[in-house]
Amino acid sequence: MLKLQNVYRTYHLGDEQVHAVEDISLDIKPKEYISILGTSGSGKSTLMYLIGLLEQPTSGKILVEGKDVSKLSDDELSVIRNHFVGFIFQQFNLINKFTVLENIMMPAKYAKEKLDFDPEERALELLKRFNMLNRKDFFPNKISGGQQQRVAIARALLMRPKLILADEPTGNLDSKTGEEILNLLEELNKKDGVTIILVTHDHSVASRTKKTIYIKDGKLVGKYI
Amino acid sequence: MKIKLRDGWYDLLRSAFADFTRNKTRTFLTALGITIGVLSVVLLIALGLGLKNYINQQFESLGANLVMVMPGNAFSQSEGGGMSNMRSMGTSFMGITFDEQDYLALNRIGNIDYLTPLFYKSGVIEGNNQRKTGSIEGANEDIFNLMNVEIMVGDAFSKADVSSRAKKVVLGYSMAESLFYDPKEAYGKSIDIDNQRFKVVGVAKKKGDPDMDDAVIVPYKTTFGTLNPNKTFYSIYAGISSKDKVAEVKEQMKTVLLKKYKKDEFSVVEQTEILNTINQIFTVINAVLVAIGSISLLVGGIGIMNIMYATVTERTKEVGIRRAIGATERDIMMQFLAEAVTLSVLGGVLGLILATLIVLVIRIFFPASINLLSVIITFAISSAIGVGFGVFPARRAAKLPPIEAIRYE
Repeated sequence: MLKLQNVYRTYHLGDEQVHAVEDISLDIKPKEYISILGTSGSGKSTLMYLIGLLEQPTSGKILVEGKDVSKLSDDELSVIRNHFVGFIFQQFNLINKFTVLENIMMPAKYAKEKLDFDPEERALELLKRFNMLNRKDFFPNKISGGQQQRVAIARALLMRPKLILADEPTGNLDSKTGEEILNLLEELNKKDGVTIILVTHDHSVASRTKKTIYIKDGKLVGKYI
Repeated sequence: MKIKLRDGWYDLLRSAFADFTRNKTRTFLTALGITIGVLSVVLLIALGLGLKNYINQQFESLGANLVMVMPGNAFSQSEGGGMSNMRSMGTSFMGITFDEQDYLALNRIGNIDYLTPLFYKSGVIEGNNQRKTGSIEGANEDIFNLMNVEIMVGDAFSKADVSSRAKKVVLGYSMAESLFYDPKEAYGKSIDIDNQRFKVVGVAKKKGDPDMDDAVIVPYKTTFGTLNPNKTFYSIYAGISSKDKVAEVKEQMKTVLLKKYKKDEFSVVEQTEILNTINQIFTVINAVLVAIGSISLLVGGIGIMNIMYATVTERTKEVGIRRAIGATERDIMMQFLAEAVTLSVLGGVLGLILATLIVLVIRIFFPASINLLSVIITFAISSAIGVGFGVFPARRAAKLPPIEAIRYE
């Protein structure tokens, strides 16, 4: 479903070259639940953004369903981000001036092709499933962190993506709420068959996934299954 | 797809308004820049139009189909007319003057209903122990019909009075009011001009034209002497009642005058031609006024640009989030452009409303007006400012690298 072939991502800090991601090759298959484990500054987030097409590799190839995306235009990449990937962030990254429902529906605004579902209907369905229907008209800064993260997950799921990228999804939550979010992700993987890549520095979180990729100084140092 | 488009615009505006309400003061102050700009442009146009209307009204108060014989070729259409002849206007006032022979020669042309020579001089008029400066106009009895001067009390002087050089005058309303307080009181009294005594045989109704209202109309033959020692006239006015004869009569008048004067020493013009020239002058004046007013619009536009740059920085994270969920560079660009245009148009509409209110007040004293053009200009200019000054900040937002934007705190 998604392949990385010898991907490098290099930054220039003054005269110095920093390899945030160095020679990483990955093959992610449908319905996988993988964690990318690494310390802060290990390059795991850069790797996630590369997978999420928010960042372009300095060299190497990224193939989405067999298609090389390194040569695609901004418009084409945006289309893939819009319907192929769903992002979940540590900071939730909801837009506070819009209601919960509006936030969840936002990806539909950027759909370039006619949708085969009613975004509002689907958003309400997701809210109902997450037990948050009574919060649909709230603004994100008026609900709890766990609720915000569930809204973010609902937003990520709106376009029925094949891949969910979660960047430290429990990092800003207490352990009980974090557990609930992880249970929810697990359920999405099992029941809905969504491929999930979870980025974390926390071994206990990583241990919840079926497969873990360990990354250090931008390099892939090990895989645990 | 139609529904999607509407949703798209709805989202853009919803997003814009959400931001405006969060920063009410800032939004208001930014829009105020455009408001003041539009206000000044629309007001200047309104006043320019008002001035033009005012002068047009003054001309329309003259009789219909008035043809004027004047020195120089200031208003001659054959020379191209308008601004190109402004230069020759200066010399024309120092050019030829007409005499009684010219008047009598023109008087032989048929189809002219009224014809008067016109002598004009500024002077001090004394009466009832008061002194007042006004215009002394020497003309014959036709002047009253030609200039639509109606007599309030008494009578106009007659043809016989002109021939007999009678010392009779008709006072303009304001002149009579200045000297005798109650204009009606002037009737039958005496006034002195240049130590000559005249009898007031009539007082004119108020005309609204300061030139006529402050005038003393004297039979032209009476002015021959100390008032008009050279027996000259600055112009000759003709009234032609039948409109389709005007062109023909004008040609005949030219033919008569050409026997004595060169082609560019005089002109025979209708009041409409003069109006055209004046309108051309006002078009230029209006354009200059608008250009001056536009400076404040420019300043308002820079204000919008400044705020939009601040907004883009403030909302870097939002841009990152939108990019992550599938917004293209174009989507982001459109979003910020829509905000800049909305802000600018809101300011413009507010300016237009204020200008309309002010013009409604001014109209009590002065025929200022807001026309469709002002409204169109307002919308066109304020949208253009929104786009013009919003495009650079919007581009900065669109070009933000998504990954940096989303990490921005």
